[in-house]
Amino acid sequence: MKINFDTQTLEINPSGDNYVATMDGKTVSVQVIRAEDGRMDLLIDGQRVNAHVSSDMAKRWVTINGQTIMLTKTSGAKQGVRHDHAGGLIAPMPGQVRSVAVGVGDIVKKGQTLLTMEAMKMEIRIQALKDGTVKTLHVSQGQTVEREQILIEMED
Amino acid sequence: MFNKILIANRGEIAIRIIRACRELGIKTVAVYSSADQHAQHVQLADEAILLGDAAPKESYLNVDKLIRAALDSKADAIHPGYGFLSENASFAGTVESAGLTFIGPSADSIRAMGDKAESKILMKQSGVPTVPGFEGLTSDEDFKKAAKEIGYPVLIKASAGGGGKGMRVVNAESELSEAIESARREALNSFGDENLLIEKYLADAHHVEFQVFGDKHGNLVHLFERECSVQRRHQKIIEETPSPLLTPEIRAKMGEAAVAAAKAVNYYNAGTIEFIFDPILSSFYFLEMNTRLQVEHPITELTAGIDLVQWQIRIAAGEKFPFTQSDFHQHGHAIECRVYAEDPSNGFLPSTGRLLQFLEPRGPGIRVDSGFKAGSDVTHFYDPLLAKLIVHAENRDAAIQRMQAALHEFIVHGVVTNIDFMQAVLKHEDFAQGKVSTRWVEKNLELGSLLPEQQVPAFENLIAAALADVVFVGAKAQPAVSNETDPFNPWKQTKNYRN
Repeated sequence: MKINFDTQTLEINPSGDNYVATMDGKTVSVQVIRAEDGRMDLLIDGQRVNAHVSSDMAKRWVTINGQTIMLTKTSGAKQGVRHDHAGGLIAPMPGQVRSVAVGVGDIVKKGQTLLTMEAMKMEIRIQALKDGTVKTLHVSQGQTVEREQILIEMED
Repeated sequence: MFNKILIANRGEIAIRIIRACRELGIKTVAVYSSADQHAQHVQLADEAILLGDAAPKESYLNVDKLIRAALDSKADAIHPGYGFLSENASFAGTVESAGLTFIGPSADSIRAMGDKAESKILMKQSGVPTVPGFEGLTSDEDFKKAAKEIGYPVLIKASAGGGGKGMRVVNAESELSEAIESARREALNSFGDENLLIEKYLADAHHVEFQVFGDKHGNLVHLFERECSVQRRHQKIIEETPSPLLTPEIRAKMGEAAVAAAKAVNYYNAGTIEFIFDPILSSFYFLEMNTRLQVEHPITELTAGIDLVQWQIRIAAGEKFPFTQSDFHQHGHAIECRVYAEDPSNGFLPSTGRLLQFLEPRGPGIRVDSGFKAGSDVTHFYDPLLAKLIVHAENRDAAIQRMQAALHEFIVHGVVTNIDFMQAVLKHEDFAQGKVSTRWVEKNLELGSLLPEQQVPAFENLIAAALADVVFVGAKAQPAVSNETDPFNPWKQTKNYRN
C-alpha cells in the first residue's frame, strides 16, 4: 500500500514475514526484529536501524540515531503553502490571545498590530501583512488557540 | 530545623526542592494551578494545595493565596525556587511578617540589588568594577555628553529594569535622542519608573557569573564561576564550569569581587553575581546580582561538591555555614543543557502538547532535573523548560563528549525540542575553543550556520513511521500514549484540534 507523509510517498507491502518498501525508485527489504513500547528495531537491507516511534492522530514522531523528526500522514494531495489562507492570518504558535487591537470593518495599515498572543512567557504580535480591512475576527481575548489556527481574515 | 516547607513554585525546581527536603527529613507542601493538577511536583510532595486558575497571577504569583496555603498547612517556611516571586522583596517581607521563614536573602538585600542604578552606585562604592557609565542623568544634553565621554556604542537601560526591557544599543549620536525616548516609554510601561542609566556597550563579551553563599552569621564564600554565554535573547541555553576563559589569577580576582559585592548588601543564602567579561582585555564588570537560586545551580553543585538547596534550607533555619573559602576547589568539568519545548525551525517559538515519549538519558556522570514524564502535558501557560541535562566529567573535552552522547539518548516525542540545535552548538569549532560570546548564537543564526537546511526525511524514517501502524497493533504494549482511536486504520487523516 502507498502511504503519504507530508510531500513524500512510500510504498510498503508485506513479503512473507518481512516487508518490501519502495520510495523514489529505491526498493529495500525490511525485517522487524522487535517492536514494543514505542520502540522498533529493524533490519533494512541487512542494516540494523533502531527507532523510537510515536503516533498521535496523523502525526508520527520518529527518532533514529539521536535525531527526531515529525511526519504528518496526508491524503496524498501535495500540501500547498499553508501560510496564505486568502488573507487569513494564522497563529504561528499555540497559546493564548492576550489582546485584540482591532474590530471588524477597521481599516488597517501594513505592519499594524492586530492582536497579541502569549505562550510560555513569550509575547508575539500578529501584524497586518498589507493594507486592508478586517473582515472576520475568529478569536477573542483570552481564547486558547492551536498553531496554524486562523485568527483574523482580511480583505483589500 | 523546619518541620514543613511550602514550595512556591512548580516543575523541575519544585521537585529539586522536594528531594532536598526529603533528605533532610522535612515534610513538603506543593502548590499548583488547575493546569498542573497532574504535574509531577504535585505527586511527589507530602501534601498539595490548589491555588487557582492556570494564569500565574491566579496561582504561582498570588501572594495572598500562597501565604494562606502556608498557614493552613502549618508550614514554617517558604522556598520560592527561581522565577515567579523569588526576587520579589515585598513577598519576602510578607512571608516574614506572617511569622514564616523566607528561604533566601533578606527583603533588604533583594531590594538593594533590584534597582540597577542604585546597585551600580553601591558596587562602585564597594570597589567592585562596573561597566564605565553614568547614573541619574535626565536631560538629553547630559546623556549626549556622557555618551561622548564613554565612547559609542553605548547601552541605555532602565534603572528598574530586567529581561532586556527598556534597553537600547546606540551606535551614534544621531540615534541617541530617539533611543532615550523609546527606552523611557518602555521602562515606564514595564516598571512604572522611567529612570535610565547609560554605559559602554561591550559587543563581544562573555557572561560569567559567580555563585556566592553565606549564612546569617556573617560567613560568606564564593563557589566559583559559571560560563553562561550560550544564550539567545537573554535566555541561557548551555552553561558550564569552569569557564574555559579564566586564568587562576582572574578567577581569584573575580571571586573576591563577587564576595565584596554580596557583602555590600549584607547577603545571606544563595546568590549569583553576574559579570560581563571582556576576553580580549581580560577585564570584568559587575552586571547584576540574582538574589535567588539559579536555574543552572547543578553545575556548581557537581564541581564544588556541595548541595546548594540543602544548605539554603539549613542557612535559613539559622545554622552556621561550617566551611571557609579554602575548603572549596573545582573538581572536573560540568555542563548543563536546557531542553526547551521550542521549535528552532519555527523561529524558536513554543511547542505545546502531550508528551508521547520522554526517555531521559542515564549513565555515569549524568543528572537530569526535569518535571515531566511520558503522558505529561506541556502547556502554554508556563516557561518552555522541559528538563535540565547536566553532565560531569574529568575535563572539558570529556564533558562535551558525555553531553553529546547523553543528548543523543534523550528521546522526546509530542513536542518539538531544541535538542538537535544544542548538538549543533556543541560540535561547533567556536564552542570547542570557548569562543562563544553572548551574541554568538544570534550572529550564527543569521549566518545560517546553526540550523540545518530543511531536508526531506530519510527513507528509514518513513519506513519506521509507516510500520508503527502495523507492528505496534498486535503487540501487547501500545506506544506509551496514543490518541489513535482506531489504530487499525492506516489511512486515517483526521485533524486534531486539541485544547
